Amino acid sequence: MKKMLCLLLIASTVSQIFPQISSIIPVSSSIAGTSVANTGLRSEFQNPAMLGYAKNSEIGMQHENRYALSELSTNSFQALLSTSAINADLSFSYFGYSLYHEMMAGLGFGRNFSDKFALGVRFNYYMAYFSASNSYRGALLPQIGLSYRFSSLFSLGFSTFNPFQTNIKTDFTQKRIPSIFSLGTEYYFSPDLVWLAQIDREISSNYRLATGFEYQMLQQVSLKLGAYDAGYLVPCGGCGLKWNRFLLDINCELHPLLGLNSYAGLRYIFSR
Amino acid sequence: MKRIVILVCCLLFLLLNAAYAQDASTTIDQTIADIFEQWSAESEEVPDYQTFYEELEFLAENPINLNHTSREELSKMLFLSDVQVENILAYLYQYGPMENIYELQLIDGLDMTDIRRMLPFVMVKKEKAVSEKIYRYDVLNYGKNELYMMFNRDAETRQGYQASFSSIGDSTNQGKKYAGSPLYHSAKYRFHFKDRILAGMTFEKDAGESFFGSAHKGYDSYSGYLQINRLGIFKTIVLGDFRANFGQGLVMKSDFSMGKSSYVLNVVSRNEGLKKFSSTDEYNFFRGGGATIRLPRNWETSVFYSNKMIDADTVGGVFSSIYKTGYHRTENELNKKHTICQQVAGGNISWRLLWLQTGITFVHTNFDQVLVPEKTTYNRFYFSGKAQSTAGWNYRVHWQKLNLFGEAAVTGNFHPALLSGFTLSPLSLVNLVAVYRYYSPEYDTFYALALSETSRTNNESGLYLGAEINPAKKWKISAYADSYRFPWPKYGIDAPSAGKDYLFQTDFSAHRRLSMFWRFRHSNKPANISQENSVMPVVKAVKKNSLRYQLMYSQGNFSFRTAAEGNMVQKGENADYTYGLTAYQDLTYEFSSLPLKLDFRYQFFDAVAYENRLYAYEKDVLYAFSIPMYYGIGSRYYLNLKYELNRQFTLWFKIAQTVYADDREEISSGNEKILGNKITDVKFLLRFNF
Repeated sequence: MKKMLCLLLIASTVSQIFPQISSIIPVSSSIAGTSVANTGLRSEFQNPAMLGYAKNSEIGMQHENRYALSELSTNSFQALLSTSAINADLSFSYFGYSLYHEMMAGLGFGRNFSDKFALGVRFNYYMAYFSASNSYRGALLPQIGLSYRFSSLFSLGFSTFNPFQTNIKTDFTQKRIPSIFSLGTEYYFSPDLVWLAQIDREISSNYRLATGFEYQMLQQVSLKLGAYDAGYLVPCGGCGLKWNRFLLDINCELHPLLGLNSYAGLRYIFSR
Repeated sequence: MKRIVILVCCLLFLLLNAAYAQDASTTIDQTIADIFEQWSAESEEVPDYQTFYEELEFLAENPINLNHTSREELSKMLFLSDVQVENILAYLYQYGPMENIYELQLIDGLDMTDIRRMLPFVMVKKEKAVSEKIYRYDVLNYGKNELYMMFNRDAETRQGYQASFSSIGDSTNQGKKYAGSPLYHSAKYRFHFKDRILAGMTFEKDAGESFFGSAHKGYDSYSGYLQINRLGIFKTIVLGDFRANFGQGLVMKSDFSMGKSSYVLNVVSRNEGLKKFSSTDEYNFFRGGGATIRLPRNWETSVFYSNKMIDADTVGGVFSSIYKTGYHRTENELNKKHTICQQVAGGNISWRLLWLQTGITFVHTNFDQVLVPEKTTYNRFYFSGKAQSTAGWNYRVHWQKLNLFGEAAVTGNFHPALLSGFTLSPLSLVNLVAVYRYYSPEYDTFYALALSETSRTNNESGLYLGAEINPAKKWKISAYADSYRFPWPKYGIDAPSAGKDYLFQTDFSAHRRLSMFWRFRHSNKPANISQENSVMPVVKAVKKNSLRYQLMYSQGNFSFRTAAEGNMVQKGENADYTYGLTAYQDLTYEFSSLPLKLDFRYQFFDAVAYENRLYAYEKDVLYAFSIPMYYGIGSRYYLNLKYELNRQFTLWFKIAQTVYADDREEISSGNEKILGNKITDVKFLLRFNF
């Protein structure tokens, strides 16, 4: 019981400190969460327009751990189907522990229009378990995304999660689900070095400013470095490894107060 | 849930149907909306978009033949500056008629954005159109008829509709509740035969006004007009509802004002003369008749007479102010309806040469009751009485690369107003404008609408300087600086005061499909600031800095717009800054296989303090133009669609919702109050051409 209370306390502290990094959206594989304009990497529940840039079908899973507490982990899965007309994905995530957990399943569609721009939409069904009422409550949360490439070097991305500010009400409480507006850019200094920048605004929270660089050092190895500011400045680092059709991304970020947040994602890319 | 399903269907349909390959044609209505947006971008009051749209739409249907045009005709393209108009005329004078439309690129001071905007409204033809006789057969067979039906209502119920309006004089409702339904409805009929005969009628019922009941028998507002152009010696004949504009607007301007905007050179008044009134505005027009006659030796004269009932709160043959909103929803509002008879007579005589234009304007207004404003400090010099006369002399001189313009006016009690300025184009890449204005505190006339800081043309002096520079291909820099002084207290400013206003904008047009701009504005305005321990409000400077970035990109049938704007405000020297921010993403798609066009926007805003309120233009149904104000924290989204059912029927539909996230439990106040944190607006417009 003591452990449970401690976990609840930590979880509530985390949610206070990071109101804009909602646990229901898994972190992206892009450095510092700069995924909204990142045309090279796809992540679960991120900008659905990026689905359009996928040339091959792929499957992936990821694990995110917050502050070395297994109860504050998110596990997610994504299967992406690439077709000539439209790309689609199916995503699922699970966060929490037995007394409190949240799940989200999403069906997304994205299309790339001659590499000039891409549009995407995802329909997420979010469900949370409320121990007070011993019941699950859910809501449909759409996600809309857009990406436009002004040239082969520069692109801009936009996405919104839960634009209608849908919340969940129970007999005892109301759970506020984040409504997020994201805008970001991607700039390739060279084919090996990309600079990403992003601003997120959760409608009831502070702004989150994030930036980072991803450097393809070798054909098999990439390095990432970045930071974001959402009240605290959080430095982020990571690397990517490529082996045949497997891609492994490992990221971590160091919160000055709460400690280390780590992420690992594994993807398999099918041949055409 | 329902709205999510609708959105899902729309987006899926859009994604699956997107036939990418074809460039989106820039439609005329989009061009007009873009021009208007830039023109009204920095103003908090939305000018009359209906009139603006109708004039440019009419121009698109009857394009100007550049080889046989005049300054007056070119000035109808409101987005062109005075210098640009003169440059076009100078080019035609110097090199003769144009061979084709591409020659526009050779004219000084016209960049590609200007030329693209001009294209729908101009043509190049060798032969001159002759003014034919008007035959009844042609009018009946070749005239164009249009019928518009518009409906608009909020999804939420406002406080004013909570209890029913019983009858006028019922003391239990205390005149607070609305008489009618929350549905807004207007019907318009338009007829035109080329640009020679224009006729139309407009009926309107505002939300809250009853249609049939104790208060109304039918629509609340009726309007009609007939305009005939080029009939014998008559240049224009107008009957019914009309507007009149002469000179620089110191005496008579009932149209849109050429105020401060990002078109920094467009501060010179144009669109002179008498013209039909076809808007749904219920105050700003004349009702009667008028004519403009062409006289020998380049003389021209206009005369008009108007007699209409206006709204005011009258007590014992005296009224304190004119009620201009046109709303007749509550008992109080209905009691003010059509209580004053206003008669206006006026005229203008002008002499026009190629290099010179000069004229005299006179107007006399008479009420059947006495106007006596409630006296306070700021309105001490406001007009009071039953009759008022105003006269003015205006001029424009073109010499080399210099244009001089101005107007001097005086009211019946000999209080003056003066506006004078010049535009200069020393190099083809540089255009300059300077305007000095002085409006005496006692100069208070009903139809003046000239360049000024506030909506009232009196009690102000100031100097406006503007420049437009094309430093490199694809780049344009626009800037203005305006310094002004109010010698007597104004509304909300309890002491003589001064202020300044700067704008700096950089435009970059990479190519036809990609353009962007950065706009910085600094204003330092005087305002009353209530302070603790002070009995009287203290007048202090309110400093506001705002920065806007906007990017427009089109590809295939899609077009996108991304914009972000932030501002910071300081009320008084030692006060803390407050901040406001908004950003939005627009997506427009025009189907290839269907006559359907969709606009979608998602926007968030964060402006906790009222001083940080933000404005952002949004697309709307035809003839409507929205620049909603954003104040608080929340988001807004809309879906706007246009569907051409066939050649005769076109419909527009818009649904927009604002959701506040700042824990507010009600929106607005009084009868307009809505319980909750959401406000939803639905509009529907049907056009029938026959």
